[in-house]
Amino acid sequence: MAHFFPTKRISIFVGALGSGKTELAINTALVLARECLVALVDLDVINPQYRVRMVKEMLVSRGVEVVCPPDQLLQADVPALTPAMLGVLSREDRYGVFDVGGDDIGAVVLGSFRPYLPAGRYAVYYVVNACRPHSATAADIHRMIDRIERAARVGVDYLVNNTNLGSETDPETIIEGRRILDVVAEQRGIRVAFTGVRADMAAAVQELHADIPVFPLRLYMRPPWEK
Amino acid sequence: MRLLPKVLMKGNEAFGEGAIRAGCRYTFAYPITPQSELAHFLARRLPEIGGVFVQAESEVAAINMVFGAAAAGARVMTSSSSPGISLMQEGISYIVGARLPCVVVNIMRGGPGLGNIAPAQGDYWQAVKGGGHGDYRHIVLAPASVPEIIELMELAFDLADKYRGPVMVVGDGILGQMMEPVELGSAEATPAVPAKPWAITGQEGRTTRNVISSLHIVPEENEKFNLELAATFAEIERVEQRYEEYRVEDAALVLVAFGTVARIAKAVVDRARAAGLPVGMIRPITLWPFPRDRIRQAVAQAAGFLVVEMSFGQMLEDVRLSVDGKKPVHFFGRPGGTVPTVREVFAEVEKIMGVTPDAQDFSTAAGVNR
Repeated sequence: MAHFFPTKRISIFVGALGSGKTELAINTALVLARECLVALVDLDVINPQYRVRMVKEMLVSRGVEVVCPPDQLLQADVPALTPAMLGVLSREDRYGVFDVGGDDIGAVVLGSFRPYLPAGRYAVYYVVNACRPHSATAADIHRMIDRIERAARVGVDYLVNNTNLGSETDPETIIEGRRILDVVAEQRGIRVAFTGVRADMAAAVQELHADIPVFPLRLYMRPPWEK
Repeated sequence: MRLLPKVLMKGNEAFGEGAIRAGCRYTFAYPITPQSELAHFLARRLPEIGGVFVQAESEVAAINMVFGAAAAGARVMTSSSSPGISLMQEGISYIVGARLPCVVVNIMRGGPGLGNIAPAQGDYWQAVKGGGHGDYRHIVLAPASVPEIIELMELAFDLADKYRGPVMVVGDGILGQMMEPVELGSAEATPAVPAKPWAITGQEGRTTRNVISSLHIVPEENEKFNLELAATFAEIERVEQRYEEYRVEDAALVLVAFGTVARIAKAVVDRARAAGLPVGMIRPITLWPFPRDRIRQAVAQAAGFLVVEMSFGQMLEDVRLSVDGKKPVHFFGRPGGTVPTVREVFAEVEKIMGVTPDAQDFSTAAGVNR
């Protein structure tokens, strides 16, 4: 199976609220951590519940440097950022993965880092779950990409197909999402980088589309009764 | 056009979607975590379908705007989280006093005071016992899944109109933020809203004027009004008790939990059953009226009850009133914005059922027993 591995030193995940950026950022960081130094930056100031900091201990134990607000501010209802985030952008010895908050509102935070993004060394991935409200059509997806590009002051380099219905996902649903994304990708002149799939379904999905990598995901943002 | 038949929806979005499907076109609210996505969702959606969303200058203003729109006969709602709901209590009391239907959503967080933004159930007493001044109750619904949020929001508006009073729907940050698949079906049809001849919509040739007020200066008249309310509340208690039960039929220990905690309790029941322990669960869907009839019925069969809450024990009192001392009612809770784990509730079950001795330390120092 052709796994996804970032081509640039800095990978930035943006997208609509609830599109799966956090799971993709965590999985990307864990893949990178097997081979090199990596810092995962929690830029999510939107979502109070399911974000990277929730699984900080697990990530650290597996060699990922987690950059998020200090412990006493972890649960605070304030858009706290730390200067260590800038360090990740400038330190050449490590990969950086950025998990940006949802919608254009969440992307504003990325916009404030725009002057510090190393030219040519970063890629912006726009994550789409076509099963989410307001993400089901090419027109809806274009509208949100435009808004996020304005707020984040960066262009989207790749689309990521993360179409899923949670526990009810089947391979056909994922492929349907891919079809919608192919339309968007062609209209914008960009590529679909990969499809994110729950690990147990990855082989079946790869068989249905062999042209782009399938990234088998382990999910970490679980509700308390599934732990 | 949507090609995919189902939608993966966040709980907070589902509160909004359910309201729209119920025909609600007016929302007045003020942002507060962990409820803000609901306001955000409706602020975007309502103008698209000819509705109005106003971000009021405060929660006090928001609930009084709800009063106004309800008086004009509209299906209307507001939403907030614990501290904001406290601010609204005066307005809710006035809405009861004026016999106006509306829906209030409370995405509860850790308290008291500013507390935190973590999930909690510490507003149970405030919700079910009449949080404002005066002699009143209102219906309180507690969904435990994203599809059920939509269903109960539609029910909330129907019940509000039927009994002419506010209906509160409560959740927490876990329920609000989590995503589950929902089947929305075809484009929403506007439901039939019952006629509201009491609404202030212009005199339209009538000789008498409709007046909306909660003022009854003469005590005997106010007493008469209070007795009318009391009769309505008695009727609601008689016919609107709702609950879900899970593997209760042969259960020796019955867990009682609502909302998010009921999902945890359900996982505990499965774990106990796998270990050969006869455990079941009753999940109140209406917190008021409390499903006391079902609890009373279970008293004959169960050896005991275990109430689990994200508080130091509030619904516990209603379970104890229903059981009326006939069987032991145990309690395990995590207050202040902490969430009980399947593991620690299961350990509590084992302790009660005599699998582990009382003295054994069961993996957590946190939590409250009463």
